[in-house]
Amino acid sequence: MTNASEVLSSIQSAFPGAVLDSRVESDRRLWATIDSKKILDVCKHLTAKLDFDHYSGSAGVDWMARNEMEVVEIMTSHGAHQVVAMLKVKTPRDNPSVPSLVPLYWNANWYEREIWEMLGINMEGHPELYPLLLSDPLVGSWPWRKDFKGYPDLTTGERAVAITTPEGYTDYYFPPTQAEVEAGTVVAERPKYPTFLEREEREIKSDSEMIMHLGPQHAMVPGPFLLDILVEGERVKKAFLDIGYIHKGIEKIMENRSWLQGITYTDRMCYVASLTNNECYCGAVEKILGLEVPERAQYIRVILEELSRIQSHLIGTGEFLTLIAGVGFAPWQYMIIDRERIISLIESVTGARLTHTFVRFGGVRNDLPEGFAEQCRKDLPYMKSRIEEFIDLFAQDPIYHARMENIGSISPETGKRLGCSGPVLRATGVAYDMRKEDPYLVYPELDFKIITGTRGDSADRIDVRLREMLESIHIIEQCLDKIPSGPIKTEAKIPKKVPAGEAYYRVEDPRGEMGMYVISDGGDKPYRVKVRGPFYATFQTLTPLLEGVYIADAVAIAGSMDGCPSESDR
Amino acid sequence: MDGIIEIITQFAAQEPAIFALIIGIIGAAVLSAVVNVGAMLVIWADRKVMSDFCNRFGPNRVGGRWGILQLGADAIKLFTKEDVIPAGVDKGVYVWAPIIASAGTMLVAAAIPFGALHIGGKNYPLVVANMDISAFYVEAALSIMSIAVFMAGYSSNNKYSILGGFRGVARMIAYEVPMGVCVISVAVMAHSLNLVEIVESQTVWYAFAQPLGFIIFIIALVTDLGRVPFDQSEAEEEIICGYSTEYSGIRWGLLYFQEYNNFLLGSILLTLLFLGGWHGPIIPIPILDMISPMIWLLMKVIIVIWFIILIRASLFRLRIDQVTDLGWKWMLPLSLLNLGWAVLIGSYFA
Repeated sequence: MTNASEVLSSIQSAFPGAVLDSRVESDRRLWATIDSKKILDVCKHLTAKLDFDHYSGSAGVDWMARNEMEVVEIMTSHGAHQVVAMLKVKTPRDNPSVPSLVPLYWNANWYEREIWEMLGINMEGHPELYPLLLSDPLVGSWPWRKDFKGYPDLTTGERAVAITTPEGYTDYYFPPTQAEVEAGTVVAERPKYPTFLEREEREIKSDSEMIMHLGPQHAMVPGPFLLDILVEGERVKKAFLDIGYIHKGIEKIMENRSWLQGITYTDRMCYVASLTNNECYCGAVEKILGLEVPERAQYIRVILEELSRIQSHLIGTGEFLTLIAGVGFAPWQYMIIDRERIISLIESVTGARLTHTFVRFGGVRNDLPEGFAEQCRKDLPYMKSRIEEFIDLFAQDPIYHARMENIGSISPETGKRLGCSGPVLRATGVAYDMRKEDPYLVYPELDFKIITGTRGDSADRIDVRLREMLESIHIIEQCLDKIPSGPIKTEAKIPKKVPAGEAYYRVEDPRGEMGMYVISDGGDKPYRVKVRGPFYATFQTLTPLLEGVYIADAVAIAGSMDGCPSESDR
Repeated sequence: MDGIIEIITQFAAQEPAIFALIIGIIGAAVLSAVVNVGAMLVIWADRKVMSDFCNRFGPNRVGGRWGILQLGADAIKLFTKEDVIPAGVDKGVYVWAPIIASAGTMLVAAAIPFGALHIGGKNYPLVVANMDISAFYVEAALSIMSIAVFMAGYSSNNKYSILGGFRGVARMIAYEVPMGVCVISVAVMAHSLNLVEIVESQTVWYAFAQPLGFIIFIIALVTDLGRVPFDQSEAEEEIICGYSTEYSGIRWGLLYFQEYNNFLLGSILLTLLFLGGWHGPIIPIPILDMISPMIWLLMKVIIVIWFIILIRASLFRLRIDQVTDLGWKWMLPLSLLNLGWAVLIGSYFA
């Protein structure tokens, strides 16, 4: 098994002088600062020689006091080993520029566009530096920089040009400064994100083609995102995807709230999976603090997170089924009614139905109420029988098979290359699950299987979700048997100010691999929180999958991803 | 009473043309009232039964706990809404589409017997136009709805609408043929195209005499009605509302209403062709014995409607290419097979 120090020595021997600084946190975490000229070669080496085949995202950090900026590339592997390499590339703050990894990893595209538009770090060699989350006129205000004071802020306020929109609102436009134009951060004549009419003009080749909206306002979308499809008759020839319609700036808001207040914001990223979001943030902070979570609290967290996974999968499956069956589809209603039992179970502990804010640094907010275990033991066998019924129901439905099988198939190789995770990747047959890959809480002590599919199509994704619920029920039943008595919070005092440090913590969200990169500079607020959302990664894979399918299949594919644009936009 | 009848007979003898016109107008008024009120009840049933399948309540406020007046409230809302004709539509076609849809439905209704009165051991069918080819005529008139659908989709100047219109027509062409062949199979067995005679000749229900034709007819009927799993022309999750996306207010109401009119008439047609129509034991109670054929017909129609609603609650929607595939590659050959069977059996028992 490869471990972090071996990876480090391999890099050091292959590229002497490339590693400027390094820290081996554990067998599974490697922090290294790489020379920006060598980063492409190092990544190539990691992928080719050391099985780092999963580009898991990147984060930009503005170190204003040190007058430099940092891009952290998160490299890991799809199960070949468990090392997460956090490769930092430093760049001066005046002319920030780092090489783009898009030539190596297809899915680096969105992550780098985000870093560029938020921090103004130029990505050399990126093919299409359009803004992703921000609107066109906002580019140039660099909102994630530490000296950003609002909109239009004090630093860029002088160059903000007020324009009146056709609707009569006042908007601001930021012409690039001379220095930025010279540095190439903002090209003065940079390509604007095409409007709908421009796109029609550019893409439509013949009279039989047209561009149709499947979003942001459409009966199909789970939340607002733009999905335009170029169709010829009933065939989709090309798809265009854009997000950012509900960008809430959660990462920036968390930088301005105390450590504890941050937990509430993680709830709001995706309200159907708020417990795993809580867990991810709290886990990262606990890592920085070096806190040991009492065993009882760990069990409570596992129980609730698995319950949360069941309800998320139920709504994800049910909602998707209405997309291919119509809103009158009765099993969807049954799933929602069954989900209500799970929600009630969670509510009896946390007091909230969706946004729980339940996990705390070093423990949980409160203990399980009296009678919870009995209620669980009553409800879970019922849920199990219902889910088995759903599995049977879909297995014997010929129209279900006709509509879902071999629709949106992904091969294991493509799935890995595109960087998706969770049920979407597991449906292709890759057993990649954070609960085994990067074990947290008491998962190593529990017995459960990773559910995988074979074809990687829409039917498999549903099947994986349904069978995963059975597995979750199995986990909860074990936890109820094993849960010890004891404290639910750590005895150590949790300081208001978290000591300086950084941590990357991964959990298995219902939608896949969720990671949070949290940096503390010793203050009472997080210095930087980067959320590596699972749906953000899965979302990117949508465009290539939609080419050449029928319109009805486009709905079947997009729906089977179990989308949550709220989480991908953050 | 006698005086009135005398006056009417005198008038009929003097002015036969005007008399026929007046009778026709009264017949049309009664017919449209019966069909439209029936369709309103079908909409109510659709919502109420549907919610029952889905474990919900459905309408339960307007008109008591059964929400029986909900449709009245909806109709008032639709009538009083602003009539919007979007800029850029092909106005003539756009305006005429709902009207043609309703006219087509009424044409269907004219030839359908809504039951029979049992007086003195004899059945007197209740039908406005008792024509010799009524089965064929009804089948043809049912497809006028598809033309209205295409008119609505084409004129709306909307991408979703045009796709819905195309899908509607593709579906109609693929399923009208097997449906027509099924009607012919029934006619072959009954030795008549008259719906009244077809019903009267069903000593054995044709659903049992030609089960294959029955199944094909049900599928083709559900397709014709545009209900799940064949509602591609208005698949909400793909093309918003299909052909009726740009319609609003009473124009949308008319279009939507015709689907349910067709639903009711189609269910009656299925009952007449395959389920023995108004056949059933006569209830030996005065007055009830007179209308007992109507009671039987109504019960069968309710079961058919219930079944089609159940289909909507339990099946997935097919893709449009799968629908046309099914129509041309399976339904048509099978319906021809059924025709052969009907000819064999029909000539054997003749």
